[in-house]
Amino acid sequence: MKLKLHTQPEVPTEAESITPAIINSLKIKEIEKIKIYHGNREVHLADFFSVSNSKSTSLEVEGDMHQIKYLGANMADGEMHIEGDVGPHLGSAMSGGFIKVNGSTGDWIAPEMSGGRIHITGNGGHCIACAYRGASKGVSGGEIIIEGNVKNELGHGMANATIVVGGKCGDFTGVNMNSGTILTFGEMGIRTGAGMKRGTIICKDNIEILPTFSYDCLYSPVYLKLLLKYLIDNTEIKIDKEFAEGLFHRWSGDAIEMNRGELLVYSV
Amino acid sequence: MKIKNTEIVDTYAEAFSMWSAKVIITAENDYWAEGAARAMTGMATSVIGCKCEAGIDMKLEPKDTPDGRPGYSILLFTMDKESLGKRLIERIGQCVMTCPTTACFSGFNTDETVNVGGALRYFGDGHQIGKKINNERYWRIPVFDGEFIIQESFGVKESVGGGNFYILGDNVSACLDACYDAVKVMKRVENVIMPFPKGVVRSGSKVGSKYKALVASTNHIYCPTIKGVVKDSAVPENVNACYEIVVDGADEKAVAEAMSVGMQAAAKDGVTQITAGNFGGKLGKYKFFLKDLVK
Repeated sequence: MKLKLHTQPEVPTEAESITPAIINSLKIKEIEKIKIYHGNREVHLADFFSVSNSKSTSLEVEGDMHQIKYLGANMADGEMHIEGDVGPHLGSAMSGGFIKVNGSTGDWIAPEMSGGRIHITGNGGHCIACAYRGASKGVSGGEIIIEGNVKNELGHGMANATIVVGGKCGDFTGVNMNSGTILTFGEMGIRTGAGMKRGTIICKDNIEILPTFSYDCLYSPVYLKLLLKYLIDNTEIKIDKEFAEGLFHRWSGDAIEMNRGELLVYSV
Repeated sequence: MKIKNTEIVDTYAEAFSMWSAKVIITAENDYWAEGAARAMTGMATSVIGCKCEAGIDMKLEPKDTPDGRPGYSILLFTMDKESLGKRLIERIGQCVMTCPTTACFSGFNTDETVNVGGALRYFGDGHQIGKKINNERYWRIPVFDGEFIIQESFGVKESVGGGNFYILGDNVSACLDACYDAVKVMKRVENVIMPFPKGVVRSGSKVGSKYKALVASTNHIYCPTIKGVVKDSAVPENVNACYEIVVDGADEKAVAEAMSVGMQAAAKDGVTQITAGNFGGKLGKYKFFLKDLVK
């Protein structure tokens, strides 16, 4: 099935019904009558999207959807391919399946995600895979790959998930992290890993290390070879051989928390 | 039936059900990967005395291993699933984790699994780190040269043990030449091992013994030195040496393929007869008829 945005919403529009499971189980007429929220008003999906059949088994969504929120929310399986930018809360509470975005995204991508994969070819906003305010844990699983840059608080309070960022990261990457892995290839903002309990942040670029982290050693982590081989084999992200086989400085922290986290910083 | 001048006896090899796991060992280079692989498969020729049967399946190129380093795949067989988990923990813990730069992964992607890394992680004494990649959990255990990575669960499957054929010939040299050629080609078949020294058994056994304490004893009917006194000897008059090649495989197809190419390579001048060991169907549920394996 294919959805194409024909009218740009004037205000943010919540469309959490746009998932492969819901769309692919309905006929075109039924899909057109699905209710979405244009601001605080209930409207039909057909008011903004045209619906057509497609040969692909995955759900295809096309258009400049920076005002469309909650695409792929609660997704448990299936595939969704998005051509164009999307708004916040993409993949909210997602537990399985795959979302590919050929474009950039807004803030708060994949809150409460527990499984599945999201691949964004462009940039991401603030608070990607971030715990909601007041919550101690954010995402609890899954895999997010962003080829471009992201802003602040990537992976705030995350657990178990794997996040890869091809470009720059803002401040507070991995703040209050519980577990999981963040791999970044670009320039980092300040206070990376502040308050992290466990988990791993791997940086290709040099970073400012907080004074509550202790230096361990220079080594070549086998875990990283495993992770990079998986990424090379299963994603389109480009990783050079020197990085994959390189040496990394290991720092343990954050001592103000459990001190069980690690920063692995590439040694050029 | 004959292959070249070698008679292929119209009989079958009787094999039995075993449980197997495939273990992928990787390391910084081939030297250390091979060292761990050889240590892990040491003294694992027969379940009769070793509790398991194990051997190197294949040498793996970096592109074929989970972490992109050189490696080996190993097959390990036991009689039941429970003991398979125990043997894996013992052997990986003592022979792979101890070997510099190694990591260890499951080679089978099956629904049935045993907990291996999830048990060995406690060696980390609280400093171990769990990681998930593609829904698989791995454990990073701190060791003297960095970290030992091991997959939490290893896939296991019901498999086939005890596929075999016997090579009977004029003398020891002729039979060993045939064994060498046979094992060489059989090693190219994926998912099989020949667990005995260099793939060859000279002390083939039968089930039971005149001594009640023994579960197995020499298969006397194939011992040339006593063919004059053994009434049911199976050693032909002009035969003075006999060897057995035992094959364990992940499935029937792999065992059949290995036996087929092995017999083809073993049939040559000096080899009078190729036959197989069976116990009238009492030992196992798999029958490999030699005539069906001749290509």
